[in-house]
Amino acid sequence: MASLTIRNLKKNYGAVEILKGIDIEIEDGGFLVLVGPSGCGKSTLLNTIAGLEDITSGDILIGDKSIAGLHPSKRDIAMVFQSYALYPNMTVAKNIAFGMEMRGVSKAERDKAVADVAELLQISQLLDRKPSQLSGGQRQRVAMGRALVRDPQVFLFDEPLSNLDAKLRVDMRTEIKRMHLRMATTTVYVTHDQIEALTLATKIAVLKDGELQQFGTPDEIYNDPANVFVAEFMGSPSMNMLTVPVEEDAKGLFLTLTRAGGDALRLPLPASAAMKARIGKPVIFGLRPEAMTDPASADRQGAEILEDQFLVDVVEPAGADVFAVTVLNGTPLTARMKPSARVKEGEMAPFALNLSRAVFFDPDTQVRLR
Amino acid sequence: MSGGTSQDVAIRGNTVTRIIIHVVLFLFAVYYLLPLWVMLVNSVKPLDEIRGGNMIATPQHWTFEPWLQAWSQAQIGVQATGLKPYFLNSIMMVVPAVAISTILGALNGYVLTKWRFKGDGIVFAMLLLSCFIPFQIVLIPMARVLGVLGLAGTIPGLVLVHVVYGLGFTTLFFRNYYAAFPTELIRAAQIDGAGFFRIFFRILLPSSAPIIVVSVIWQFTNIWNDFLFGASFSDVDSVPMTVALNNLVNSSTGVKEYNVHFAGAILAALPTLIVYVLSGRYFVRGLMAGAVKG
Repeated sequence: MASLTIRNLKKNYGAVEILKGIDIEIEDGGFLVLVGPSGCGKSTLLNTIAGLEDITSGDILIGDKSIAGLHPSKRDIAMVFQSYALYPNMTVAKNIAFGMEMRGVSKAERDKAVADVAELLQISQLLDRKPSQLSGGQRQRVAMGRALVRDPQVFLFDEPLSNLDAKLRVDMRTEIKRMHLRMATTTVYVTHDQIEALTLATKIAVLKDGELQQFGTPDEIYNDPANVFVAEFMGSPSMNMLTVPVEEDAKGLFLTLTRAGGDALRLPLPASAAMKARIGKPVIFGLRPEAMTDPASADRQGAEILEDQFLVDVVEPAGADVFAVTVLNGTPLTARMKPSARVKEGEMAPFALNLSRAVFFDPDTQVRLR
Repeated sequence: MSGGTSQDVAIRGNTVTRIIIHVVLFLFAVYYLLPLWVMLVNSVKPLDEIRGGNMIATPQHWTFEPWLQAWSQAQIGVQATGLKPYFLNSIMMVVPAVAISTILGALNGYVLTKWRFKGDGIVFAMLLLSCFIPFQIVLIPMARVLGVLGLAGTIPGLVLVHVVYGLGFTTLFFRNYYAAFPTELIRAAQIDGAGFFRIFFRILLPSSAPIIVVSVIWQFTNIWNDFLFGASFSDVDSVPMTVALNNLVNSSTGVKEYNVHFAGAILAALPTLIVYVLSGRYFVRGLMAGAVKG
């Protein structure tokens, strides 16, 4: 087991830059999730770590050893593919043992390793079957078994759950998390699903257009986003955002929000230097749906809460939550409420806005204002 | 017609239409099988009976003499050896030619889909072009090449000719088949530590049975039935079956022994027939598999 370091990694296809200088470092036993929309370069980044694609410049280190020029089989990694990539002509046991066979491990050792891994993943009864005779979840397990049996320095996962149905995906997600807690092997995991990223990761790297947008713990990424893209990409429903000019009066800095069915709302701002510099200029005001809720479910611990009546435009019940949409400054904002909040469309309802959780961005650069 | 077009009832097979279709199909089948029938019945008749008239009738006196004659006694060229030695010539030509062209086609398809290189599209296009070059055009250059290699008039020479000529087709088959083969499998095998040939022999080839059957049937039929190359590039001791059959049937001296000729023709067609019967159902399946993604 070892740490993984990616230094100023660049990858070009001809004149097209796919990765524009990525710097990431994940500690020994860490779980790094690469997340981003399709085409952001996350799979390319994973493939360069695996050695399936070469890099244009930069370096990749496992521990303190550079692996950038090594053949995939010499990097001491194991990879689980999106399509599982099980060899169709071999039984499950042969699939799991193939890598060891290539490395010249003796038959007896191979059989023992296969049996151990099969027991760990509860696929012992499937060892003699061909991949075509397995269900999606079973194939997923076999693919993980093939990676586990190698006992590598780093595990690589390329969207391993995207081919499973919703229920199985959640089960397997838990399973992967449990496996990682048990093995504590450094892992790099690619997904476009932000929930998967938040649940599995110890560190998340958010990518867009080949550039690293933010690198941090799930908590940092979710609660302390570095820019508008990260704030919008993580979280569902996504963060509410309004572009409003900063104003100042005797009581300090504030934003004015106009709302249907009520007078304008004064939103006090922190008196930071960054905000003072924006007086008279617009900022993007962002508030997560759960920071905008019914007064009963507001998290009041050390928080600055603004309570008022808002006109409910649309109500979307979602089982555990009810999403109430209200319009401020002509933009619909989503509030996450308890089902017991009893909000009705077209009526006024009390909302509690947790202003301590509000974040602000520069509309021109899209970067966070602190 | 009993309400076949009515939309008030559930769809069911219309009996009258069905009968018509089956009668037509039956007539077609008879039409195609008639030549084989004529060949079969006349190959087991004495010559007198054929001269007597009815080609379609079953023999009054059954005799297998014509088959024996065609196989081992008939006068072909200057020797009365029957078709036997030429049959063996054909076997010795076809088996290596089919095996080599299929293996090389598979390797080409593997490289063209999974080990892409700059200009691979042009290489494939040029290989494809070779499928459309008429045989006659390559005769003289090929004769020169065989002469330079010292293979003129030999069975290995014929094998080479057929391998070169068949490579375009076999490459086309395997390239299209492997294009649909998931590249992630190749990558997984690379991470597992398998090299170029190990991936080919352990992963790709075992999954290629349908397209191998297609390639083998196609190559076997074409090479076995080839006349032009056989006539052009063979010598006395390397004449293939098709050319020998021609020499037997077209001999201008003596009596025309139609029954022997029919028996010889069936003997010449038998191997391809057997290959089709044994693996025909894989043929369609393989053609489909190769055709779905190209």
